[in-house]
Amino acid sequence: MRLGRTIAVLYRKDLRVELRAKDTLVMLGFFALVLVMVFTFGFSLDPATNRRVFPSIVWALLLFAGTLAVGRTFARESKDGAFTALVLSPAHRGGLLLAKTLVNVTLTTLVVALAVPVVAVMMRVDLMPVLLPVAAQLFLGAWGFALVGTPLAVMAVNARFAEVLLPMLVFPLVSPVLIAGVTATGATLGTIAADDPATFVRLMAAFDLVYAVGGYVLFDRLLTE
Amino acid sequence: MNHALRPMLLSATLALLVGVAHYLVFAYAPVEVTMGVVQKIFYFHVSSAYVCYLGFLLCFIGSLGYLFTRKGRWDAFALAAAETGLLFGLIVLTTGPLWARPVWGLWWVWEPRLTSLALLFLMFGAYFVLQNFGGAGEGIRRMAAALAVFATPNIYFVHVAVERWGGIHPQIKEKTGGGLTPEMRSVFFFAIATVLTLFIVLLVQRYRMHLHLRLLSASRRRFSRLGGES
Repeated sequence: MRLGRTIAVLYRKDLRVELRAKDTLVMLGFFALVLVMVFTFGFSLDPATNRRVFPSIVWALLLFAGTLAVGRTFARESKDGAFTALVLSPAHRGGLLLAKTLVNVTLTTLVVALAVPVVAVMMRVDLMPVLLPVAAQLFLGAWGFALVGTPLAVMAVNARFAEVLLPMLVFPLVSPVLIAGVTATGATLGTIAADDPATFVRLMAAFDLVYAVGGYVLFDRLLTE
Repeated sequence: MNHALRPMLLSATLALLVGVAHYLVFAYAPVEVTMGVVQKIFYFHVSSAYVCYLGFLLCFIGSLGYLFTRKGRWDAFALAAAETGLLFGLIVLTTGPLWARPVWGLWWVWEPRLTSLALLFLMFGAYFVLQNFGGAGEGIRRMAAALAVFATPNIYFVHVAVERWGGIHPQIKEKTGGGLTPEMRSVFFFAIATVLTLFIVLLVQRYRMHLHLRLLSASRRRFSRLGGES
């Protein structure tokens, strides 16, 4: 099957299943709200401090929500030999990876889009003037996370301790995205003085590109079935 | 040569080398003027850092080899290289703060070189954990290999990100604190040679061990297929 068609079919299939079951989204949404509470209790002090820690909280949220989404990448396929069937099907292997990455980006973005405004309201950080750049930065970050995490999520199908291993492998790998993202958001909010956010956005974009190509090339060799 | 004798002879040679290196570092090399005796950590710290990077690089190469050839010996080599690299990484991450505290006044600084080594250590640590505790299947080995391959370009991004991010942190220019005297330089080269020899010996031993372990589990599987008890 051709690449584009594989991506479209698999993406539509996963979204349709998700929209009918709604389990991952609801679970992730509530998890994110609990995280919001933890962070606001942990850091909420005075308006100036809130503004300073806001980027860190938002990016930590993205990381945690992303971890859960990525960890469940092949959850539906892990039963009844569906994963083997998917791999054996004529679906384009690279397309399989890209479709799953796209699903993870969609889920992470939705959850972050829900949670970030709540954090902003609770911490009294006025997001409206910087909404667009911050949203763009988080979107690029969600891509970075999914591009690194999704190929490694195949492991969750058959590894022991997968739920611990996955963040352990992915967090150090996405640390450049985390550094760049927090700095870019901080610079946009005006709490980090020195740098132009565009530099960090470019860095994230380059990161996303390298890992998109790398994952696409390697994914075929990761599958044992 | 006798199989039992060879490792003993190697160990004796290594012990001699390490002893001579210590003598040279502490008795022959002059004491550095500004840093004093603490500077002597440098000989072991920097040479360990070199072989640590070498170990991770070899793991990257071994992992690529494994992903493309699917031969178990590439994987055994990659694992041995990662383990040896981690050992020397531990030495670097221990000796570094011991040196930094009196010289910079800080145990740790988020500077590109330190940060990339710390993150490499975490990534190859994760590789090590995955290989050892993730399970026995071929899928896990491939996943570990992919991780090692993914980790290597990452260092470039870490480096750039930390460099740009650096604003509030003290910038460290040169660790060695300026030029080395000729005596210092020759001692430094001797230390590198010693640590490199140690690295190679450990790497080869681990590699052989992993090969034997794989052979053992393969023959055990064959045995149980033939109807024996495993």
